Amino acid sequence: MFRKLALALMGAAALMGAPAWAQEFPARTVEVIFPWTPGTSMSVTQVIADSMSDKLGVPMTVISTPGAAGTKALETLQSRPADGYSIFDAYVAPLVLQPVLGNGGWSYSDFAPLHSNLSAPFSIALRKGDDRWANFDEMMAWGREHPGELRYSAGARNTLPHMAIAKVLQEYGVVARNIPYAGDAEARRDLSSGILDFAFVNVGAYQRAPEDFNVLLVLSELDTAKEAFGGAPNITELDINLELSGLAPMGWSWWVVRKDTPPEELAVLREAMSATMKDPEVREAISRLGVVPLEWDYDEYEAIVGPVFEQLKSMGDALAWEEEQMDAL
Amino acid sequence: MLIDSLLQGMPLFWQAEVFLLMALGLIFGLLVGVLPGLGPLMGIILLMPFAISLQPIPAMALMLGIFVGGSCGGSISAILLRIPGTPLAAATLFDGYPMAQKGRAAQAIGLAISASALGGMLGGVVLILLAPLLAGVAASFGPPEYAALAVTGLVSIVVVSDGSVVKALMSGLLGLLLATIGTDEFSTGYRFTFGNYNMLNGFHIVAVVVGLFALSEMALQAFGKDLTAKPDIAPVRASFRSVLATLRHWKNLVRSSAIGVFFGSLPGAGGIISAFAAYAVAKAAARPEERYGEGAEGGIVATESANNATVGGTLIPTLALGIPGEATTAIFISVLLVLGIYPGPALFTETPEVVGGIYLVYFSANILLLLLGVLTTPLFIYTLKLRKAHLIPVVLLMCAIGTFTLQASVFDLWVMFGFGVLGTLFRMGNYPLSPIVIGLVLGPFLENNLRRSLLISRDGMGIFLDRPVAAALIAINAVLIAWAVYSFLRKQKTT
Repeated sequence: MFRKLALALMGAAALMGAPAWAQEFPARTVEVIFPWTPGTSMSVTQVIADSMSDKLGVPMTVISTPGAAGTKALETLQSRPADGYSIFDAYVAPLVLQPVLGNGGWSYSDFAPLHSNLSAPFSIALRKGDDRWANFDEMMAWGREHPGELRYSAGARNTLPHMAIAKVLQEYGVVARNIPYAGDAEARRDLSSGILDFAFVNVGAYQRAPEDFNVLLVLSELDTAKEAFGGAPNITELDINLELSGLAPMGWSWWVVRKDTPPEELAVLREAMSATMKDPEVREAISRLGVVPLEWDYDEYEAIVGPVFEQLKSMGDALAWEEEQMDAL
Repeated sequence: MLIDSLLQGMPLFWQAEVFLLMALGLIFGLLVGVLPGLGPLMGIILLMPFAISLQPIPAMALMLGIFVGGSCGGSISAILLRIPGTPLAAATLFDGYPMAQKGRAAQAIGLAISASALGGMLGGVVLILLAPLLAGVAASFGPPEYAALAVTGLVSIVVVSDGSVVKALMSGLLGLLLATIGTDEFSTGYRFTFGNYNMLNGFHIVAVVVGLFALSEMALQAFGKDLTAKPDIAPVRASFRSVLATLRHWKNLVRSSAIGVFFGSLPGAGGIISAFAAYAVAKAAARPEERYGEGAEGGIVATESANNATVGGTLIPTLALGIPGEATTAIFISVLLVLGIYPGPALFTETPEVVGGIYLVYFSANILLLLLGVLTTPLFIYTLKLRKAHLIPVVLLMCAIGTFTLQASVFDLWVMFGFGVLGTLFRMGNYPLSPIVIGLVLGPFLENNLRRSLLISRDGMGIFLDRPVAAALIAINAVLIAWAVYSFLRKQKTT
């Protein structure tokens, strides 16, 4: 117990400018650049960083660097030396989605992966007791007849949940008004009070209070995601084919470093993270936070992320379509 | 039900480990609170990996200790050095520093610690008795109500300003303008970022506050002539009599604590707004001879009781609804989740012993804060005895370390420096600095909730009148603004 406290305090001291105390890599604090404000997702990063810190023998601090859907954090990594001391917790929004939306000139292949981190399936839900529609298709039918009447939130704008929901609405020909929020919690609050008609709900929020939501659709074809949402219908049960599979319709992250990081440092970090992600205690802690720990190692990065990039690119016009339709009303 | 919960929580709470970790958390919290730049959130983030290796109640003892200590610690540097250790203590400057300048530093710190502890305890009582009820009220607040509340907060600029109202409003407008920098939440367009990725999220509030207050104060002190003179200050210590002094302001204490709990229970509102709002109300309700802004005890009682009561308030939506009131409580939720505890309505029915344990920990942390705060005050008072030639570089170094720690960003240091220059110029021109902070905090709060309300509305501005609470808040705002204009015109006429 007190070893962990000592490491935490060493991390604090290191963050405040204490000198290095070892010689080989890593010889000083390794920083993990986290792209969102502190919260549950950051706690997942801290759990992994804490375990890796034990293996590397130096403190690992997680730095929250929010801004522009993760772009600020990604640019921060780019501005750091390629020495292995800066790791980016690369969520799909900054890594893949922003370039797809034309907001960044980088590609996922510009970074060297360490290991996959987490995935977080999500759903479209009504508030508890809202029985206006028996199922998702009924809500969509109502939405088609009342363009612009439905109000929904996917949390922040231009994120993966927003894009996936916009894609679903586009396929159904439903024009609904997106209400952006800085955080998911605020959106869920306004869903509960009836201000919003429907909202995206992630597994963590659902599992904390399943009785608060009436889940209409799980945005994943995976059985594990369906189970996590209490067996609610998923996208394979719809009449239309959304052509979304694997990680494409859900949130996820990989840890990456700059591509020009020396191979020796890269190998050390990869080994430590791979061991960490296999650790049952770490996986259990991550699962309790409402996300799914991933097992893909660095050599599967291209095979996993590549298709996601292609799928997101193919549905890249959904957000523009939504905006055009709302402007036309 | 409530008593059962507390009784079931007692065995989890009554352990040496809990008290040890609570004390450790409080001391660490006071430390990160005192040091400019750091704060309770940073302290909690740093010790989170350690907390998840503990049992739930000891973990919460550590976390709540940091939160409670950190919410109070910022007042100590505000009183002694005119530097708010955290933005939470920015409003404590108004009367804390003048009181210290009059040779009453120990009493001022004693008042701040007592008010923090008593405010925290009152917040605890509300938390214990009314959590589910208040959570329901908070959940009914939507964007229109938040937008109306933000206007109320902005009106407080007029109340808290001591000198020229026009200068205060100009400072406030500068804060609002600065708040527009960054990424627009609605269009995702970049505003005033000038192609610099460091500005994609605007300026960090802590870098701004440290620059405005700490650097300007150090600059003005450095311009003085007696840099090497050793201040002749008799040894002083805070005493538990400060509790009685605080209780003499019991109406103010209760009112400010209620304001703190109220703002705390609203997700997203937070301690900075509650401290300024409590100060504005206390000042408006005070008699002229109390001389707010010149070292009034009531000013310290108002701000410190409010920002610590906010801690109790933020636990209400956190525990009862599973909705984090702010970043700090989002970390609490994470720690509890990792430890297998699920905050939300089911927490009260499925694990009442954990709820009871957390209540007891929070209440006890405030009592222990009083003890530790009074005992450690002499250490803090020691800083007043340092020669300025020694004090100024040490404070500047602490400011730089604390600000860099936020995001490991050199850019934040430049922001701090830039606002240090701005703060110095403003103070030389007698422009108040606090309205800049109020504008910076409330700007995004107002803009985003106003725009969100209009997006939600099917009737334009009508949404503000359709919802009773929003309409009532707007009516209150109209009265406050009319009163402010009337007071201003009357003052102009008499001078």
